[in-house]
Amino acid sequence: MNRRGFLRGAAGAGLALGAGLPAIGGRLASAAAGPNLSRIEARYYVKRPDREIECRLCPRFCRLGDKERGYCGVRENIGGTYYTLVYGKVCSLNIDPIEKKPFYHVLPGTAALSLATAGCNVNCRFCQNWEISQVRPEQIESFDLAPEAAAARAAGSQCPSIAYTYSEPTVFFEYMYDTAVQAKRRGIRNVVVTGGHINPEPLADLLEVVDAVKVDLKGFSEAFYAEYVRGDLKPVLETIRAVAKSKAWLEIVYLVIPTLNDRMDGIRDMCRWINGEAGDSVPVHFTRFHPMYLVKNLPPTPVSTLEAAQRVALEEGLRFVYVGNVPGHGGENTNCPGCGREVISRVGYRVDAGRLKKGKCAICGTPIPGIWA
Amino acid sequence: MAGARVVIVRSAKAWTPEGDPDPAVVTRMFARGFALLADTADGAAMVPSLFRADDRVGIKINTIGGRAISTRPEVALSLAGWLARSGLAAKNLFVWDRTTRELREAGYTPAAGRSGIKVFGTDADGVGYGPDLVAHLGVGSLFSKIQSEFVTASISLAILKDHGLAGVTAGLKNYFGAIHNPNKYHDGRCDPFVAEVFDAPPVKSRHRLTILDALVVQFHKGPSYHARWAGKFGGLIFSLDPVAADATGWALIERLRMAAGLPTLEAEGRAPLYLKTAEKMGLGRAGTASIETLEETVE
Repeated sequence: MNRRGFLRGAAGAGLALGAGLPAIGGRLASAAAGPNLSRIEARYYVKRPDREIECRLCPRFCRLGDKERGYCGVRENIGGTYYTLVYGKVCSLNIDPIEKKPFYHVLPGTAALSLATAGCNVNCRFCQNWEISQVRPEQIESFDLAPEAAAARAAGSQCPSIAYTYSEPTVFFEYMYDTAVQAKRRGIRNVVVTGGHINPEPLADLLEVVDAVKVDLKGFSEAFYAEYVRGDLKPVLETIRAVAKSKAWLEIVYLVIPTLNDRMDGIRDMCRWINGEAGDSVPVHFTRFHPMYLVKNLPPTPVSTLEAAQRVALEEGLRFVYVGNVPGHGGENTNCPGCGREVISRVGYRVDAGRLKKGKCAICGTPIPGIWA
Repeated sequence: MAGARVVIVRSAKAWTPEGDPDPAVVTRMFARGFALLADTADGAAMVPSLFRADDRVGIKINTIGGRAISTRPEVALSLAGWLARSGLAAKNLFVWDRTTRELREAGYTPAAGRSGIKVFGTDADGVGYGPDLVAHLGVGSLFSKIQSEFVTASISLAILKDHGLAGVTAGLKNYFGAIHNPNKYHDGRCDPFVAEVFDAPPVKSRHRLTILDALVVQFHKGPSYHARWAGKFGGLIFSLDPVAADATGWALIERLRMAAGLPTLEAEGRAPLYLKTAEKMGLGRAGTASIETLEETVE
């Protein structure tokens, strides 16, 4: 799909907000208006001699000279000081069902004010949102939305949560953090959708102000991460461990790509690791791949592969395992691990949580972990 | 692959008393460089062998370093002017880089009139990046429409600099400025990405000539400008072989580093690996033994 096609499709993907705010994406920004960039000093970096800096936000540890940008493309060394160029510069804003993130154990059936800026700190060859994640902020239209304004907009739109999503929120850390603080003051929850490439210190700070984190675990080998993600697996696993130990809710998504990461022995190893390190209550979503970005030569994932992965995960003791991106599939539902009955039914983004009472199965009373109210 | 010729033209009079490049002298340097490339007395005679008369020629410059260490306007506009007097139509000459802001900061006045030499950035109204990803080897990028649509032939007129990650930035890496996501290709000392971006059809099919602006060379702590490590070499480096041009630029940087008592890039673990990769890909010659270097001085 080309850029125009993507924008046409994406514009219909969520509920666009009020006048003056575009839906997801946007056209290339024009030079006539000048780039809409912030110049807010970044956090988590150190200054080096000769106007150099070292970024400590993510495991890349970009070391940059004056006028250079990090791998993410949204942080720049200007005269020896490191700046975020995307603070409050939103390129995508929608009200989405929280199931779209996907979070299945967080406020089911509610809407999340979902926002993103440009940029990402990896370069997945199968990226589903590359038109915003793999561009520089001046290459896409953005608009100003200060943290307090974002929180107010969520409240005004009856969204009980704000989702930092679409691109990679780590690269707009300062904006995400400040917005989360503002939202928290209003009683609005904060949920993060991330690839997990973030260093322990900023992650620890983030976990103080957010309620839930969904980590995209894109494979389970360093070789896969090196070739297809252009990142490392180890820091992602560290992130999963840290979130699991924190008070924030954790869910994991595994995009199953035919021939690239769909071997069941690898999936079994991954499930065993998740169970051992994060516990059996972490929801794991096996989602369907669609050809995109630089991987267009592979077909969509067969549903049978997703079902096989789900079986393997259940065999390994994980209690909440889902099939995703297959609307209407029975694997979207939440089944009680006690009595096996369906407690939350889903068809696409339509949700019926009527058999979940105060976080427990209405039939047998087994607690279902999550954030339910 | 035949040996590659690289021409270095220097002048002690390349600067005006104010310290700016002297366009008249720089123009003579271009004329002599083209002549030596083709073994002819008249550099202009070389032009038809490189370009068709109706070619739209892009002169890709590098302006990320600001006024202090970018391809200088006096150099780029002298080249464009000389080409216009040597058989190419002025209206078909494009001096360009990524952004209007960077062009201005480097001293250029963006102008895109209907006649005459045009200077503008990819971000100018009506330009932008092509709509479709070019997926080539390990690279996936949108290319500037200037490179992929507007021009039919291309000159890489790069500034020669040390580069903290790549080792050297010169003519090949200059085309990072033609893609929308260069920040994604600095891993592994930019290897193999520099070679792969050059090898991508929008570049390889159009590239004709590399010229390195080596009037002032940043030989350490680049790509940023640091006066302490910027050497006034007073030269332009020409080659039809894009790899040989950069290999010669690297050798020059090592010369300047040695004179300043600095270790080699190899010793610092920053040798530009992408040159060997480019050679393996058949893009040109990286070994100095297979490069014929002609050096001449003009008044």
